[in-house]
Amino acid sequence: MTRSQKKGPFVHEKLYRKVMQAKDTGVNTPIRTWARRCTIVPEFVGRKFEIHNGNRFIPLFVTEDMVGHKLGEFALSRTFRGHSGGRKR
Amino acid sequence: MPRISGVDVPPNKQVQYSLRYIYGVGPHHAREILKEAGIDFTLKSKDLSEDEVSRIAGIIDRNYTVEGQARRHVTACIARLRDIGCYRGMRHRVGLPTRGQRTRCNARTRKGPKKTVAGKKGIKELHRG
Repeated sequence: MTRSQKKGPFVHEKLYRKVMQAKDTGVNTPIRTWARRCTIVPEFVGRKFEIHNGNRFIPLFVTEDMVGHKLGEFALSRTFRGHSGGRKR
Repeated sequence: MPRISGVDVPPNKQVQYSLRYIYGVGPHHAREILKEAGIDFTLKSKDLSEDEVSRIAGIIDRNYTVEGQARRHVTACIARLRDIGCYRGMRHRVGLPTRGQRTRCNARTRKGPKKTVAGKKGIKELHRG
């Protein structure tokens, strides 16, 4: 179900503060985060993140198109190596 | 046979239904359009006067994205999802359901006709075993 409009988007406070801080100081080192549920807000554009997928950190450079999605959507947490017996033909 | 936005709408149906043959016009838009045009919903579309047809066409032209344009919009949205590398985009790329449905069985709309795999247990055996 869609999130209530009244609440506005969910943004991880601590991560947001970190992003703003990085913006102020002008450094763009990747920000490591576990906050997969955090919505990407316009302020994140042009920032680098490293998103935890449960195992390792997946690097992500945020572009404008990604606004409105969650960070977790960009770090797959499943490995699919294809089905057994595959590669015929 | 009235022609609206480059589509022939069926003559023997009520306008509120026949308008839905235009891509991008559903039940809601159809009624909205007719309300704005001041036309009875239940009128058969073959009984529409020239004037009424052009009024409907005008309203659609002005306020709605339909047909080619609507289709292009949808393709563009999907292309965006593919490009940004998000989960939904990946599902589109591999042609599987994008909204978290199960794929162990069913999901035939996305996966297409069945491809039989030797040795794969069917759902019936799974329930029995």
